[in-house]
Order: sequence, then C-alpha cells, then structure tokens
Amino acid sequence: MAVLTADKRVLHADLQGDSVRAASGSMVAYTGKVEFKSAGMGGGGGFRAALKQRVAGESISLMTCSGAGRVYLAQDAMDVTVVQLQNDRLTVESDHILAVTDGLQLDVQFAGLRGMTSGQGLATTTVTGTGQVAIMSEGPLIALAVTPGEPLVVDPDVYVAGTGQTQMSLVSGVSWRSVIGEDGGEPFSLRFEGNGTVYIQPAER
Amino acid sequence: MISGIDTTVYDARTLPANDNVNAYSFSIDLNGEWFTSKGAMIAYYGNIDFSAVSAYASRASWVAARFASPLYAQEWVVASGRGKLVIGDRGNDINSYDLGDGNLTIKQTNLLAFETGLELKQSIVPGFVTLIGTGKFLASSNGPVIFVEPPFRADPEALLGWADCPSPSHHYDYNWMAHSLMSGVQMLFGRESGEERQYDFTGKGTVLLQSSEVQRHDPALLRIVEAQTQMLDAHSAGQLGHKLVARSQQA
Repeated sequence: MAVLTADKRVLHADLQGDSVRAASGSMVAYTGKVEFKSAGMGGGGGFRAALKQRVAGESISLMTCSGAGRVYLAQDAMDVTVVQLQNDRLTVESDHILAVTDGLQLDVQFAGLRGMTSGQGLATTTVTGTGQVAIMSEGPLIALAVTPGEPLVVDPDVYVAGTGQTQMSLVSGVSWRSVIGEDGGEPFSLRFEGNGTVYIQPAER
Repeated sequence: MISGIDTTVYDARTLPANDNVNAYSFSIDLNGEWFTSKGAMIAYYGNIDFSAVSAYASRASWVAARFASPLYAQEWVVASGRGKLVIGDRGNDINSYDLGDGNLTIKQTNLLAFETGLELKQSIVPGFVTLIGTGKFLASSNGPVIFVEPPFRADPEALLGWADCPSPSHHYDYNWMAHSLMSGVQMLFGRESGEERQYDFTGKGTVLLQSSEVQRHDPALLRIVEAQTQMLDAHSAGQLGHKLVARSQQA
C-alpha cells in the first residue's frame, strides 16, 4: 500500500509496486523506478463527472505515479497536510489536492448555478472512501468548528476543506458591493451551517 | 473517520479574543465597531455587518471625524456587531499594536484594521497613513517586523512605518550623487539600482522594517500621485504620459 508522508512543504509518496494520483506537474524528484502518466481530468467519475466539471468550470488535472520508490511532490511552496480517511468523506477545494492514494474516489460537488459569478468554492471536490489524501494550504490550516445554532461565514478565497455534515450557501451579506464606485472586497461569502469542521488558510487565493 | 489534521479546532468561544490565531491570522473580539481594510476578513462567527465607510458615516457622524482624508474611505469598511472576526492578509505575518495617545505612520497597504479610537490621516509621504489617538490596530508584514532606533537609513521598499520620530527625508548615496552630477541630471533615470535612494530618519522614536516587500496595488497611492500631476503644465504632463506608457509596455 502506498504511503503518503508530509514533510513541511514536501510530500513523500512511498510506492511499493502500486500507484498514487498526484496533481499534474507536482513531482519535484523521485528515486526508484516510477512511471508517470496523465490520468486525465478528475481522475475518475466518468463522463458525468467530466461534464459537471465542465459546467462548473472547475478542473483538476491529475497524473498517475506507479512503480516502486519514493516520489517527492510539492507545489508553490505550499504547506502539506496528509489526511487519513476511514470510510469517510472530505470536501476539498480542487486546487488544493496534492495527491490521493488508491481506494479514494474523487467527485465534483456542484453547488449550483448562482455561484457561477463568484468563481470560487462553488464546485469543490469530494474525496470518499478509505485511504490518504494530501492537501495543500498557503500557510498553516486554521480549523473552525460549525455547530448547530452557530453558523460560520468564510471568504470563498480562503476555503480549503471541510468535514462533517454541513450545508454550504453563498451569501452576499456584504452591503458595500451595492455602493457605486466602491467595489472590491468580498462580493460573496460562504456560510456554513450544521455540524462539522471547516479548514481555511490565512491567505486569499 | 478522518484523522491527520492535528490543528486545534476553534469555535466562537475558543477563538482568541483580540489575539493572533497563528502568525498569519488574528481574531478580533468584536463588540461594537472596528474599521477593517476591504478584503481583510477571512472568516467570522456571530452577527457582523460590513458597510461602506460612506454609508455608515451617514448614520453615525463620528465616522467622518476618524477619516481625515476622503482618499482612503473607499478602501475601508466598518465592521459592526458582535462576534469573532478573523483577519488575514495573503499569508503575511500579522501583528497588533497598541497606541496610547500616540501616533504612528504606516504603509497604507499593510494596515488591516483599527479601533474607532484612532484617527486615520494621510501622511506627507505618499503611500503612508498616520494613525493618531488611543487604540489597537493590526498591520501585516512580509516576514517578522524589525524595530530600529534612529539615526537610521532605510530602504523605501523595506520600510513599514515609524512612530514618534519626525518624518524621514530622502537621502542619496554620496558616490552615486557625485556621478549623477558629473554626467548630467538626465542620466538620473535608468541608472537606479534601487539602493541609491534611502529614507533618512533622525530624532527620537522607532522605525519599523519588514524583511522584504512585494509591490502591491494601492488605489489610494494612485489617486495621490494623479492629483500631484496637476502641478505639471500640459507639455510636461504629456512627457510623463509617454514615459508611463513606455514603462507599462515594458512590464
């Protein structure tokens, strides 16, 4: 079974005759005998997933690394966190997936058409199953709890991942957008309700 | 089951009150109003409203008194209500400072938020603002802040701000000056390596530096420089225009 280990801003993927899927172009070095080939958009999910990605304008380009050896993966000097999933579900902003082991399925979750104008956080990737997923963040992750009766609002540009049973909605509770000549700032915010944890990074994309 | 993310999970109660969450984010315990720079909010709990400064000022007249220059009103919003407000700035380090009936001048793009007891004024140095009064404010820096005491010369790019001492004057490297004078002033442009021009601080006080600086888009600075071009006659303005066009095409 391939093992993912985070070393600050670099991910070690130790392969023993199996494979992991990693963000295209994220390989910085490798030892042993490893083959790399493009896994295409989404790396699974079939035609329906590909169509959803096209509609949502969200693409995730993955490559398959297979063989035996160690692959060093990194991107934009972002911090790497390895998450273990035991028959569970994690929602990740697609740009922040560095690698996934076999046994995990990726699918695009489509948050609806109204998000189309905002461009961020409307179609996130859900990772389900059992295995390891390495996620990236600019700066250390900040974990914020969502509990019933205590909703959380985050800037779509800092959202990285989420767990648990939460409902996400786009709110435009920022009134300055309507003031003529005073644009900028956050036109939309993401509001989370329910029960779960939301992970954000301290840097806007 | 999900494991592997070993960061503390915060909620509305456990988030720090007016303290750093980590080096790159800060949690404001909001109960009333704070001025925040547009886009500085990264998350919040509770009932918090964000309104444009101009819109808020029409309801609360004291707001106008805090903004001595209309130049900056567009870059700021009033966060009002109750809750925890998390502030971040592109992964830069964030520090909070307390002013007690004092004054501090800081680069406008690095100022993220300030309490309503402080007054924002336009500094005589372009791109900088001066805070006067009593209260807390948040500022970001590229890397940790370095504090130094005058007499001191700083690179304009690395200068974050200064407190209590007089405004700086320009200083040019002696050798560079001598060369420039010999070869004619026209040579002035195109010969700069970026290190000849320095800010010279004298008197008593503290100078704040950051370890590096990436040039940022600053709409207020653009308006200041644009207003100053009014001093030029039509011919000079045209010349300046040509130079700027050439520069934007090079970039």
